[in-house]
Amino acid sequence: MAPVVEVEHLTKHYGSITAVEDVSFEVEAGEIFGLLGPNGAGKTTTVECLEGLRSPDGGRIRVLGLDPQSNSSELGRRIGCQLQESALPDRMRVGEALNLFASVTPGGASPLELMSRWGLERKARTSFAALSGGQQQRLFVALALVNDPEVVFLDEITQGLDPAARRTAWDLIRAIRDDGTTVVLVTHYMDEAERLCDRVAVVDRGRIAAIDTPQGLIARLGGGVRVLFSTDEADLSWLDGVPNVESVARRGDSVEILGSGPVLALVAAELVARGITPPDLRVVQPSLEDVFLGMTASEQGSLG
Amino acid sequence: MSLAARLTWAELKLFAREPFSLIFSFAFPAIILVVLAGIFGSQPDPDFGGVSPSDFYLAGYVAVVIAAIALVALPVHVASYRERGVLRRFRASSIPGRDVIASQIAVGLITSMIGALVMIAIGVAIYEAALPESPLTAVGTFALSSVSLLALGLLVAGITRSARAAQAVGMILFFPMWLLSGAGPPPAVLTEGMRTVSEALPLTYAVRAMQDAWLGRATDVTDLVVLAAILVLSGTLSALSFRST
Repeated sequence: MAPVVEVEHLTKHYGSITAVEDVSFEVEAGEIFGLLGPNGAGKTTTVECLEGLRSPDGGRIRVLGLDPQSNSSELGRRIGCQLQESALPDRMRVGEALNLFASVTPGGASPLELMSRWGLERKARTSFAALSGGQQQRLFVALALVNDPEVVFLDEITQGLDPAARRTAWDLIRAIRDDGTTVVLVTHYMDEAERLCDRVAVVDRGRIAAIDTPQGLIARLGGGVRVLFSTDEADLSWLDGVPNVESVARRGDSVEILGSGPVLALVAAELVARGITPPDLRVVQPSLEDVFLGMTASEQGSLG
Repeated sequence: MSLAARLTWAELKLFAREPFSLIFSFAFPAIILVVLAGIFGSQPDPDFGGVSPSDFYLAGYVAVVIAAIALVALPVHVASYRERGVLRRFRASSIPGRDVIASQIAVGLITSMIGALVMIAIGVAIYEAALPESPLTAVGTFALSSVSLLALGLLVAGITRSARAAQAVGMILFFPMWLLSGAGPPPAVLTEGMRTVSEALPLTYAVRAMQDAWLGRATDVTDLVVLAAILVLSGTLSALSFRST
């Protein structure tokens, strides 16, 4: 099956500023693909080129096999876009907006179904300006899905949402994918990318720094697993001989072990074998955030 | 129903829910019409070419209300849509720009007609002003003046980046046009210099053509040609300058 999105050597400048430089990636059908990076990294510019809203300065883009510039009207009927910065007229009502946008591409999803699925059924007669931020976001996602798209682009969909609303949004994004729609998710939230995405492209200063599954990125670049516990046992020199242990640091009763892979199980087994059972034995797994900070820490100001 | 017609209908509903955005367009010409027709009365007056000043002004303000909508209300509305991301939202949902433009022109025409009816109601009710001597010519002149000034307003919307900028540019175009078009002080009292400036202002041609049709004078084809030229030029430029972002 051909990739849903193919990007080769995409470049985009704004005046003398290079927003995107030599970006290449593919998105497979049925996955949630993340573009992760700090604000200003070029993520939005990249997806807006995919959506046909911006014209690239260089490189080749195919979305569903179509060139977003020359096939914009056909592509527009087959993709869904939730934009980072957009609005509806203040007095336009939820039901009116969905019906209006649904009429552009007949034969798409039913506005009524979308409203109930996205928790807007009681808001059908509420005007856009009277919706909360979360409700507006849900309406934008519903509008992006109103033509029953094959691929949907979601740009900072949980920006400004409270934690509970973010989790609800995550469930709904998984539901979109489970319905067979490919999802391209732009986010600067590491936890969001880690929990939702099948694969993530880390974007930094207009370039792709790495592409892998979140777990793959963490394993490759996360900087190892930390095992922590406390003990008053005097001699812990044997810890250096436990497989997968890379270093041991001790400060008073607190012990911190840096290791890799199944280091927790190996250390725990050895502790128990020696009759040491610390009640606070715990492990800190690296997160995508560690990966990201590790990748960009070498150059100052990248998060500014 | 076509997409442009659906957009037009949606826009009209939005106006009905929030009519305040049209208050300047309707109230300003209405107030000035009441004042000027009240000052100059209904007796035939040589300063007004021997016609009743209230008839003269009613015809003029049917054109001025178009300008208030086309040069102020429409550019502010479209520029605020662009500024707030409404046009981006439309474009990302495959709503073509030409349908958006068509709907804005349709809404401008419909609101201008409502405005014209308001002016006529005021002129007739308060000053017993006359209805057009040549109704068909008046309707045709009204339609040509409307699309011509609306195209100019779309150009203002196209070249301004924000609603505030659109408002400033629109007002700067509107006020001199209103004052010098023949719908402000009587043309007879304008200085030579003012009359020269007046000949350079699009609204002058709309006011004069409307007065000709209203007062039963022969239509000056030059006025209609100028209005048509403004339509073609502004229409072309505004189509080229229309952006979603």
